[in-house]
Amino acid sequence: MNLEALIPEYVRGFQAYVPSKPDHLLMREYGAPMLHRLNNNENPLGPPPAAARIIAAFPPDRAAVYPSGDSYDLRQALGKRLGIEPDRILVGNGSCEVISSVIKAFCQPGDNIITADKTFAVYEWVAEFSGIETRLTPLIDYAFDPQAMIDRIDRRTKIFFICNPNNPTGTYWTRQMLVDFLEQVGDDRIVVVDEAYCEYIDHPDYPDTIALMDRFPNLVVFRTFSKMYALAGLRVGYLAGTEAVVEAVRRTSVAYSVNVQAQQAALAALEDDQAHIAATRALVREGKELVMGACRELGLETVCNEGNYCMIRTPINDMLMYRRLMKRGMMVRTMTGFRFPGWIRVTLRELPVMADFAAILAEEVHAVRLGQGGAA
Amino acid sequence: MKPRPPSITARLPFRVPFLPLAMALVEKGAEGFGYTRREGGGLVLAMEELFSFYVRQAAADSAIDIELEDQGYRLALTLAFRMANPDLRAFNLTWHCNLDSEESLTLLGPMIAARSVSSLRLDFGAGEQVILRLTRTRDYPEAQPVPLPPAGLGGPLRLLAPSLDDLRHFAAMAVAAAPPFLPRFLSRPGMAADMMGAGHLDALLLEQGGWIRGGVLWRPLTDSCLELYGPYVFGDDPEDRGLRMLLDEAVAGISRSAYRGLVRRQGVLADYERFFDLLGDMPLRGREGTVRSTCYYRQLKEESSGTVYCAEPLASFLAGQYDRLCLPRQIRPAAGDPARLRVSSALTVELEHARSLAVIRPLCAGRDMVANLTGHLHLLRGEGIDNFLVELDTGRSEDTAFAEALAATGFVPRLVIPDAGQGDLVVYDHPAAEASA
Repeated sequence: MNLEALIPEYVRGFQAYVPSKPDHLLMREYGAPMLHRLNNNENPLGPPPAAARIIAAFPPDRAAVYPSGDSYDLRQALGKRLGIEPDRILVGNGSCEVISSVIKAFCQPGDNIITADKTFAVYEWVAEFSGIETRLTPLIDYAFDPQAMIDRIDRRTKIFFICNPNNPTGTYWTRQMLVDFLEQVGDDRIVVVDEAYCEYIDHPDYPDTIALMDRFPNLVVFRTFSKMYALAGLRVGYLAGTEAVVEAVRRTSVAYSVNVQAQQAALAALEDDQAHIAATRALVREGKELVMGACRELGLETVCNEGNYCMIRTPINDMLMYRRLMKRGMMVRTMTGFRFPGWIRVTLRELPVMADFAAILAEEVHAVRLGQGGAA
Repeated sequence: MKPRPPSITARLPFRVPFLPLAMALVEKGAEGFGYTRREGGGLVLAMEELFSFYVRQAAADSAIDIELEDQGYRLALTLAFRMANPDLRAFNLTWHCNLDSEESLTLLGPMIAARSVSSLRLDFGAGEQVILRLTRTRDYPEAQPVPLPPAGLGGPLRLLAPSLDDLRHFAAMAVAAAPPFLPRFLSRPGMAADMMGAGHLDALLLEQGGWIRGGVLWRPLTDSCLELYGPYVFGDDPEDRGLRMLLDEAVAGISRSAYRGLVRRQGVLADYERFFDLLGDMPLRGREGTVRSTCYYRQLKEESSGTVYCAEPLASFLAGQYDRLCLPRQIRPAAGDPARLRVSSALTVELEHARSLAVIRPLCAGRDMVANLTGHLHLLRGEGIDNFLVELDTGRSEDTAFAEALAATGFVPRLVIPDAGQGDLVVYDHPAAEASA
């Protein structure tokens, strides 16, 4: 069998993502006494209580029945929450699925998408393995650069992806910046604003993208239940757009991809989120202060804006710092893959974990500076 | 993604009457791809000798797969066939033809083949498959003199993705600047440009005031590891600004490639900590004294693990290195039975006369490993070589089987390059070249 001949060239050249191994294997490989995952920006508080109850009480016989193929009840609830018709919402198996659906709906080989070089990588990956060109623009002051993105437009540009706030830098476009951008882009292209971390932001100038869709029908918004709502293990995300846009995207989406427990938990999470959001924001605020203070004392530069994560510039290369921290039971995200060599990203978690992290980071940094151990 | 280079493939019955066809395929193919008779001739000769030698050992009705690929700067010939116990002795540099011995004369063929090409690699596939990969590089002229940037250039430094002409010019500048470590492909600017054209080399240049001010290059060392060359900065570089720009951008650019590691094996790099792990260094003895070849590494993917099967003393050395580098590796005792080894081992040698350096790599293990290594040392010393490195791939049991013989012949493991082979690459040197081995 000539497998090479069967595989399209753009797939042949693509490297599959390798997720991290399960905790017990990582602990054994690194000889780590414990493992705190500070790498995936998960919420340590777990889902809101109502969602937790749904998950705990999930009846096994429901597993034998297909879920709602289009997440009917969840879309009704989301529509009510957002003040739009449920048909303007498409629920997917995590927001990664809706990224794929949008690209499939609007792009064909020869077309291109535009995004930043130092952002969530999945926009670029999905485009690449679909045979779509990705045009990357550099950040400016750690933020998406609207003018640089506009400068890359050509007649084959179909979609912009803007991560707002940006992962990993936490910077965001204000309402005015987004409006200015949308006005310049016009309505011949889709503008996707990925708001995976929007619930962490409490600033009045953060854009209300749903409200902007009346004026800009090419605007599409992504949101997720994986971050603030702590349902990452169940995989639920959604997009919202105008009815026409969502109808087009629905054609390239797989029905029944969101399981019944995920739909029920997400629904419950929405109905019980105010105290949960407040508690999570407080936890992130405290964790951020602790980590930034520790880094200041160590003389380490940080980029710590919105979202439940912070970037830290390490005195040694990020991969070596990752391995050193892994041996101590702290799993961070290296930023080499985000094109930020020499930085790590740390999820902000509960204070005792952040205190442990800060202490271990300090020990490793001191050891590096004294030239002890490791390869530095 | 670059399209695959043009190639000719054939599956021939592995029988003597098909030898002329196999030779004609290489000869006419090389001619068709635009190589000179001299350039293609080495591969034609290698084909003749290898086919003639192994066809005698081939099972009836077996086949040989031949692929001749034009990679722009070189021709690559791959021969694949199935054979239970191929005789590889004659690939050794130390193999000398004894005119009184019929066996020796028989083995003359592979010896000629090994010496008539630019490189030869042997792999063993599943189902007793033997894969021989041979290359012959084009003949390129040396660099012509070019001026270097004048001192005190003004204006901002700018990064530049080079065209082939830019790279050709940069290579000539690098030759003119005469840095202590210059890879061979850079000393032939046409070759560097053709390598980049073939997708076997990538580069990033630094520009200022209309002059090329420097550059950094990288190319695959293995399927999983890239090797970095440079950065070369011509003229002053206050606060290493140009160097940092080149490294930051190069590392960021390749970070989403398929490669798992990046190695730099040149001289000392100041303030390397932000970019690399220090793997170690090795003294290279030369007529003008000893220089240290320093090896740095950068992991490109978070996921890095593996299992190494090996015996002492290699196991202890690896354990120490893995601990120092915080690399997650399992070391398990090898279950190798010396009695089950082939009679004869085989080694390949890459010679770099400018640095008086021989890099020895195992092809296959055998019961004569100590004698074979000793023989290579004697022969290479006789050729005036002062430095001997052995590269041992922890992912190949044929390689790790050499560990004991290396210790017995005075070789000392110096450093480990993670993910630079099928597993990691252990680099040995021979600290007392004059000592008897």
